Amino acid sequence: MGIQAEYQDLQPVHHTPTKFFYKYLWSTDHKVIARQFLWGGLIFLALGGLQAMFIRWQWAFPGEPVPVLGEIFFGDSGGVITPGHYTSLFTSHGLIMIFWAITPLMIGAFGNLTIPLLIGARDMAFPRLNAASFWTWALSGVMVLTSFMVPYGTAAGGWTTYPPVSGNVGSPGWGQSLFVLALFTTGTATIMGAINYTTTTIRLRAPGMTWMRMPLTVWGQFLTAALNVLFVPVLAAAGILLLLDRWFGTSFYVAGALSGGAAGDPILFQHLFWIFGHPEVYILILPAWGFVGDFVSYFSRKPHYWYKGSVYSMTAVTILSAVVYGHHMYTTGMSPLLGKSFMLLTLIISVPAELLFLNWLHTMYHGSMRKTVPMLFALGTIFVFGSGGLTGLPLATISTDLYLHATMFVVGHFHLTMASAAFLGTFGAIYYWMPKLFGTLANERLAKWHFWFSFIGLNGVFIGQLISGYAGQPRRLYDPFQYAFTEHLLGINQITSYFAFFLAFGQIFFVINWFKCVFGKKGACPDNPWGVGTLEWTVSNPPPVYNFAEIPTVYRGPYELSNPEVKEVLGRDWLGQAEIWPPEPEAPFEQSESEASK
Amino acid sequence: MNILKRLKYSIDRMIAVVVLLGFSPTVFAEVEKETGYNMPRDVSEEGHRITWLIEITMWFLVVLFILMIIWMAIAMFKHGENHEAQYDHGDAKKQVAIALTISTVIFVIVDGNLYVNAMIDLDEVFWNFKDIDCDPKEDETCKTVKIEINAHQWAWDARYAGEDKVFNTPDDIVTLNDLYVPVGQPVYVQLGSTDVIHSFNLPNFRVKQDAVPGNITPLRFQAKKTGEFDIGCAEHCGAFHYKMKGKLTVLSVEDYKDWAQQASRSSAVAFNADDNADARWGWPWVRYSTSGQKLESEQSVTDADAKGGE
Repeated sequence: MGIQAEYQDLQPVHHTPTKFFYKYLWSTDHKVIARQFLWGGLIFLALGGLQAMFIRWQWAFPGEPVPVLGEIFFGDSGGVITPGHYTSLFTSHGLIMIFWAITPLMIGAFGNLTIPLLIGARDMAFPRLNAASFWTWALSGVMVLTSFMVPYGTAAGGWTTYPPVSGNVGSPGWGQSLFVLALFTTGTATIMGAINYTTTTIRLRAPGMTWMRMPLTVWGQFLTAALNVLFVPVLAAAGILLLLDRWFGTSFYVAGALSGGAAGDPILFQHLFWIFGHPEVYILILPAWGFVGDFVSYFSRKPHYWYKGSVYSMTAVTILSAVVYGHHMYTTGMSPLLGKSFMLLTLIISVPAELLFLNWLHTMYHGSMRKTVPMLFALGTIFVFGSGGLTGLPLATISTDLYLHATMFVVGHFHLTMASAAFLGTFGAIYYWMPKLFGTLANERLAKWHFWFSFIGLNGVFIGQLISGYAGQPRRLYDPFQYAFTEHLLGINQITSYFAFFLAFGQIFFVINWFKCVFGKKGACPDNPWGVGTLEWTVSNPPPVYNFAEIPTVYRGPYELSNPEVKEVLGRDWLGQAEIWPPEPEAPFEQSESEASK
Repeated sequence: MNILKRLKYSIDRMIAVVVLLGFSPTVFAEVEKETGYNMPRDVSEEGHRITWLIEITMWFLVVLFILMIIWMAIAMFKHGENHEAQYDHGDAKKQVAIALTISTVIFVIVDGNLYVNAMIDLDEVFWNFKDIDCDPKEDETCKTVKIEINAHQWAWDARYAGEDKVFNTPDDIVTLNDLYVPVGQPVYVQLGSTDVIHSFNLPNFRVKQDAVPGNITPLRFQAKKTGEFDIGCAEHCGAFHYKMKGKLTVLSVEDYKDWAQQASRSSAVAFNADDNADARWGWPWVRYSTSGQKLESEQSVTDADAKGGE
């Protein structure tokens, strides 16, 4: 039995489900689960985005009633956002965007969609666990929505959920508890997914798909999954201890007058939270790095520059991300030795990040750039990640952080890196893999409008926040203009808010496009619309349940673009990963050649 | 700032100085507003180190960002569809060496500058509490002003040792959201919190420090100019976080002495041993080693000491 047959034997073809329940709800097909995550993530993205607009409204027009929507959401206060509403808004905005929007979109949807298709597998290693992962995540989403309806409202302790403000005294009621429980639940879903992704990547690569032939997208998803497996349990532990504090009166995190003499420590939570929390920001950006690494190569029609260097850089960042978390806690009064060590380690992370950046830029340079929609989104991602990454340097350094810590500068910085870059990366991926998702290409004109609104909006909002933060505006203020050093910043905040509304408006183009793609008449879609040699484009759009009727054998990396020899013989500038090269001469060809030699 | 504004600014300041010298120091002009998008005015002796390091880093970053944009623009517009793509995997030894060199050079210059300067600044000033931790009771030349600040939702309580230079005695000065410090003398603050985590934020002095329940955290600064400045809270501490605002008044050395003497004496007169225990919050001063490790408390104060000590 050949190796091919052995692989096929190990991954039997699942029969195509016919009942609605098995087809759409409890489906074990990774492509269906990807679409489920996509829908779920987009709904929560809209919710989190709406909350962001409320926050921006409050900062531009403090205390004024929100037009139109105010009556619906803040009816009890006549449409005005109160300080209580506001703390809930920024808390749940952060948590929802990270755990219920970016995570399901980037990892849930695109991890699921891309890993098996790009490595030549018929499904995930554990298809039922995969389905369980989605429904566990959906359950956690229900908990989040419920938390808005209980007395005292939802979580209000900041997305970081620092006790004691997130404890019983700071946040009474069920809202905060439900949210922490939801975090624990979605963490469980994430771990299920991550075990699946790592196992699939390690075990189910098609014959010939060596580690160094994997597209960077798969590398990004694999490294993200590895970080998830390692660090989400830490968040879960931190959450359980917090719930014990809240429900059973333990005092892991309680100190001072509230503790009644028990010797807990609120800083313990911060350590646990950031041991998870710093890898988390890389969890949210590594998949986007993968997409960008692939897209710049595909659409510059040029092999990825120093592919191995990019792989090593991404791996180095993944490893380093585990040992830099202390830079979130410079002002907590940590041991100077510890603080200085974290500063050095954090600064070191900029070396692999720079290498990765240089590789992207080098890949584009001397290419033949096609400014397609996914490429625009990739370029946008590089742009926002560039500005966001650079502004991280003064935050990584203790003495400069003494001034910048907890200002809007931090907010601008991390929104450029893990929000804007993740946002643009995800939408680039949605447009790129739309044929694989729904068997059609998205409308290009609408998609380009969507890109420009998003790109200008995101930059306007977060560069505006960098400026106001640089001028000293602290984050998380209900009315930021209370202080003599912030009073003059109302103007820049209003401009920033207008950019935010502009950004929100631009999403209409996506919504129209999305509904056209999902429910509209599917136009003819070429099998390989982008001219790319990775495995997913060797199968139909959308692919059959079993992906590959015959598991392919892989001969080369994904970036065999603009090879002059291939161009000469095949007349195209790309070569598939599973194509035999040089092509075995076919019979007539051989004949004519032998004839010619006669 | 145009000339008129500058003129108004100086006149305001002159009036302020006159008011300050002529009347009680508490009668003073409004806290001065900031303008523009630069960092707020730096009125501290050492804040320029942070200002400089942030500004020079920003310039580095702007240059790098512009280089990136130029590079991208060339790729986009010059190496577009009509440009023939180079078949180049970029993994030749020379290419790898170039990439490694570029990132190492950037790292050494930008990150190196940040790291070296931050280490110096921390060791010399911001995380150095040994140099200013003298005891004014024993050491006549000690100029350090020590303040204990207890944060709670949503205000700052401050405690000065008073005339006897010992904390937790009846002549301690206790103020609410109202801090006085002398110009040109190091101020050494130790922070605590009753309820949740707060963060003592002085943007005009470029420093902030969290106040953590169950822990004492240190902060130092030194004013270079007299005037009034806002104290902010920089850690989310509940719904009214945004209202947690204090005032820091920098006085001339003489005015500060007068104020401290007067305040300490009235405290001693007003002291009531039967007060609620909350009124006698405070802690024995914490000492740090040169490496910043907590050593021990200077004194151990019990409620009985506080009641009886005179």
